Amino acid sequence: MYENILTVMIFLPILAGFGVLLLPMKKEAARAVGLVAAILVVILGLRIFFNFTGTGGFEFVQRVELFDSVGISYSLGVDGISFLVLMAGACLFPMAYLLLTTKSKGFYANMLIAQGAMIGAIAATDMILFYVFWEIMLLPIFFMIGLYGGPSRLHATLKITLYTIAGSLFMLAAIVYVGVVYHQQTGVWSFNIADLVALNLAGGPATAAFIFFMFAFAIKIPLFPFHTWLPDAYTEAPTAATFLLSAIMAKIGVYAVIRFVLPIFAEEFARFALLLAYSGVIGMMYCGIAAIAQQDFKRMLAFSSASHMGIIALGIFCMNLQALTGTLYQIVAHATSTGVLFLLLGIIEERMETRTIGDLGGIAYKAPIFATFFAVAMLASVGLPGTSGFIGEFLIILGAVKFNVAIGVLAGTTLIIGVCYMLWMFQRVFFEKLNERTEKFADLSPIETMTILPIIVLIIVMGVYPQPFLDKVAPAAEQQLAQVITEQHQVADSTNPLMEQLEQKN
Amino acid sequence: MDFIVLFPLIVVGAGAIILMLMASMKSLSEGNTALAALGVLALAFAVQLMVSTTDNLTPYGGIFNGMLVANSFTKVAGLIIIACGFFSCLIAQSYFTQNRFYSAEFYSLIMFAACGMLLLTMAAELITLFIALEIMSLAIYVLVGYDRASVKRSEAVLKYLMLGAFAGAFFTMGTAFIYGAANSTRFVDIAAHLDTTSFLDSPAMAAGAFLVIVAFLFKVAAFPFHAWVVDVYDGAPLPVTGFMATAVKTAVFAVFANFLIIDGGLKGVWVEYLYYIAVLTMFAGNLIAIGQNNLKRMLAASGIVHTGYLLVALVAVGTDNFTGGVILYYLAAYAVSTLGVFAALSYLGGEDERRNSFEHFKGLAKVRPYSAAAITIFMLSMAGIPPTAGFMGKFYIIADAIRAGYMMLAVLAIASSVLSMWYYLRLVVMMYFQEPEEEFETAGMSLAPIGTAVLAVCVFAIGFYPVLL
Repeated sequence: MYENILTVMIFLPILAGFGVLLLPMKKEAARAVGLVAAILVVILGLRIFFNFTGTGGFEFVQRVELFDSVGISYSLGVDGISFLVLMAGACLFPMAYLLLTTKSKGFYANMLIAQGAMIGAIAATDMILFYVFWEIMLLPIFFMIGLYGGPSRLHATLKITLYTIAGSLFMLAAIVYVGVVYHQQTGVWSFNIADLVALNLAGGPATAAFIFFMFAFAIKIPLFPFHTWLPDAYTEAPTAATFLLSAIMAKIGVYAVIRFVLPIFAEEFARFALLLAYSGVIGMMYCGIAAIAQQDFKRMLAFSSASHMGIIALGIFCMNLQALTGTLYQIVAHATSTGVLFLLLGIIEERMETRTIGDLGGIAYKAPIFATFFAVAMLASVGLPGTSGFIGEFLIILGAVKFNVAIGVLAGTTLIIGVCYMLWMFQRVFFEKLNERTEKFADLSPIETMTILPIIVLIIVMGVYPQPFLDKVAPAAEQQLAQVITEQHQVADSTNPLMEQLEQKN
Repeated sequence: MDFIVLFPLIVVGAGAIILMLMASMKSLSEGNTALAALGVLALAFAVQLMVSTTDNLTPYGGIFNGMLVANSFTKVAGLIIIACGFFSCLIAQSYFTQNRFYSAEFYSLIMFAACGMLLLTMAAELITLFIALEIMSLAIYVLVGYDRASVKRSEAVLKYLMLGAFAGAFFTMGTAFIYGAANSTRFVDIAAHLDTTSFLDSPAMAAGAFLVIVAFLFKVAAFPFHAWVVDVYDGAPLPVTGFMATAVKTAVFAVFANFLIIDGGLKGVWVEYLYYIAVLTMFAGNLIAIGQNNLKRMLAASGIVHTGYLLVALVAVGTDNFTGGVILYYLAAYAVSTLGVFAALSYLGGEDERRNSFEHFKGLAKVRPYSAAAITIFMLSMAGIPPTAGFMGKFYIIADAIRAGYMMLAVLAIASSVLSMWYYLRLVVMMYFQEPEEEFETAGMSLAPIGTAVLAVCVFAIGFYPVLL
């Protein structure tokens, strides 16, 4: 019964998207189609949620050989690593259709195609298939920003597109390299991740391939110093697209590192972990400080999102179970909280026609429900205990301290920056004086309230009772790490003193 | 069997001659000529498709002294060439509704050129190769300068003719040298000779191979013989440009591969240089293309880049159990998207190729969404974005290069495709993100829109068609 569930989740939105694109219909109809497709995907996602056993291996597997001669197959599957990301990709979309209304039909078509491609990238267990979806998901983003974005959209869309395509083309070379090495070592072609973990990579080309992979993912996540496209793209994109980018697409970058880089390049990973961890921490600080200074509400949230991506990425580079589980947890926690924040911001933008923080004020008096939801999401994003953000960040920092005390301390203290800009913004936007604009601000309608409420409840449930979620991801995380931990010790003990040197320096 | 192998060649050649004779009759209308040419090419395609050539086959080996060879490689190359001819005729039909310098010989010349190309792919001997090359080139020279009233076209044909004549002369000289060294012009005999004596021991052999390869590099527009491409492609009438960019490249690459793989020694020496030539070709092409404002010139320069990728494939190709699948796959993928763009340009270009620069296509998506979508598909395929044919082509080339141990070359090819994103995306950005300034009216009966649609489908169809590595 569940054999094709992933395929349906991928191609239902894509087909719906092309249908919307090609058939003549009004934008309201397009929105309805999008909503229906998104809700169907949520239902399928929930089926996966309740039927997922979480033993560690792939479930809901589907495999069709496409190109036998080079071992490319259409293979999908879910395991603990992809499980929560998939849930985020499947379940958050209806909000975007319900809350934001002012777009044309092409926009909804792009959004549907993007969702299908994202689910495809998350569920793919074949690297080439993953690459295909990875590239396809960029195209709708390209058109969404370019066609429906803000005033300097052209610049922003070219920047994000060229950046990501550059990264992913290099990744293609790395993927092909991995496949070729597998062919040399075993005599058969395969790009399936289950086969490729057995690989034994060494030497210069392996390091180059690792760097290419990390380059692509560092751009997508984005890691410092590859983050420069992010503020422009997030700010210029229509809010629904920003939601998509920050809540799902950035997470796919993190997920892909765990899925593909960690098991295959265990040795290189252990070597470069410290460097990458510092890049994560610096990105956190830098973007956090930049967020404090922003006047534009959306740009501020963009920097905040980038800052949080730093800590999420850091969780992988610490290479221990706590941090990795924390990252997997935080992926969803951050997707929900930042997603809600961007969508609420979209509502402010639609109703106030401004998003300069200075122009706003006193919204809490006029719209208590709105303010409450915003506050919960915001507190989850800064990691207040009792919200989902706390569990993830706590685990990551715990792991970071275990990995390297300096990094742990830096990461922990950097969170304070997050609290600074968030609370300051909250004060300026929701309290202080009302002005002519905000006088007219209407609170959320019942439909809007009911749309956001489940996510808010989820944020709190995940913060208070994380065990059921953690149970589903922990076994897979442990498996994923088994290889890299042995490699890490080997690297540290071997005559190659790179790791030791780095550790002594710090 | 021998006859069947040669039959497509004969069909195209005979069709060309008959059409040439019929052109003297005034009654033949333009549309009918185009349809006749399309019919002949379709027939040739069908026959070529039916021919099964699993092994190397030497048609009429006794009579012709083994100057031709047919195998699955030449068969597929022939298919691509005939298909290119077919779509070029479609393009030409629409083109001549808006550009009035038509006469019936045009289609017949395209078929003559196709005939030469088919012969070229099967050539297994240097003299045959030269004759085929000249049959092809002479027809192309005439086609390039077909619009005698235009100075730009005359300039293009003069440049192409002069340089092409030089290349032809180099080739003849090289053939003579090789004959002097190996006592034969047949590829098999040259290979046998090279087995016993080292390539570099004999100066005549080295010089001969050098000259022959220079001629090849000129014809495929590789660095440093790429300078003519932009002007000639720009100057030639649009259908001819499309035909040159695709079919000529296919034919010459097919014979180039045949020539290079005759012997491991020859390839071993040349690969080293082809490596650098491939890299320089890719980057020179990109540098030229980035600066272009005219679409045809951009496509010409991007053709140089694609030549570079094909050279990468040639460098990486193995001599033992050579199938050439990767090269042909890439050529097919490239031909489909290039001809697709030219087909779209032929009816969107307006009278006398009025709309020819990026700016002219501003806002096309708002006026003609389907054409814009098709052009976008072709651009994405050329850029190598999945799930198009261009992506698979690039994938196979990179896989081949890495497998042969040229990791660096693969990375440079990737770097070059990153650069090329710029000018492919630029057109997409123009079409979608700018406001339209005109109506993009088209005139006359048109086959090209159908061709565009078919090719757009082909981009995906070929993308899902596997190739044997």
